[in-house]
Amino acid sequence: MDGSSSGIQEPFDLIRLSLSERVFVKLRGDREMTGILHAYDGHMNLILSDVEETIMIVNEGEQATVNVAKRKMDMLFVRGDGVILVSPPSRT
Amino acid sequence: MDEYPPPPDDALDTQTPPPPPQPRTIHTGSPTDFLKGVVGKKVIVRLNSGVDYRGVLSCLDGYMNIALEATEEHVEGNVTNRYGDAFIRGNNVLYISAAEEI
Repeated sequence: MDGSSSGIQEPFDLIRLSLSERVFVKLRGDREMTGILHAYDGHMNLILSDVEETIMIVNEGEQATVNVAKRKMDMLFVRGDGVILVSPPSRT
Repeated sequence: MDEYPPPPDDALDTQTPPPPPQPRTIHTGSPTDFLKGVVGKKVIVRLNSGVDYRGVLSCLDGYMNIALEATEEHVEGNVTNRYGDAFIRGNNVLYISAAEEI
């Protein structure tokens, strides 16, 4: 497309360029994770390795606090319908 | 007999009222035309969750999957995150708005 400096033709190209790189993924349910992207498909199903997932737990009430729970996984399949955003963190 | 007072002179003024103010640009066309015109521009993408993403639109597809550059994430008016590149899955998108004149 004219004016695009990175030569991306369609949004999935952005994902394709991030294969084998560490990506940041935002998911439904106030979850985020970073992992190395091994595979993806048109549903945004993802295969990630060396993953760290962060879950935000919001305590509603008089004191609105946010707790954070982290967990690590070696290899993970992410179902695409839960994906909100994918970003390569190395380019931030 | 009572007569109504004659109407004041300016009520007989037959000048037409001024035309309504025209918008600066008139956008016609299909949503696809809008999406073609907005690529490469700064946009605001609002998600169903209410989170806003402001950035330059790299490209998008028919499912409203979006690729953005230089993205800021706004939650309730505050910038909560910045991404160099961001892919947003189309089912989460509520709208795409042009942040600058097309």
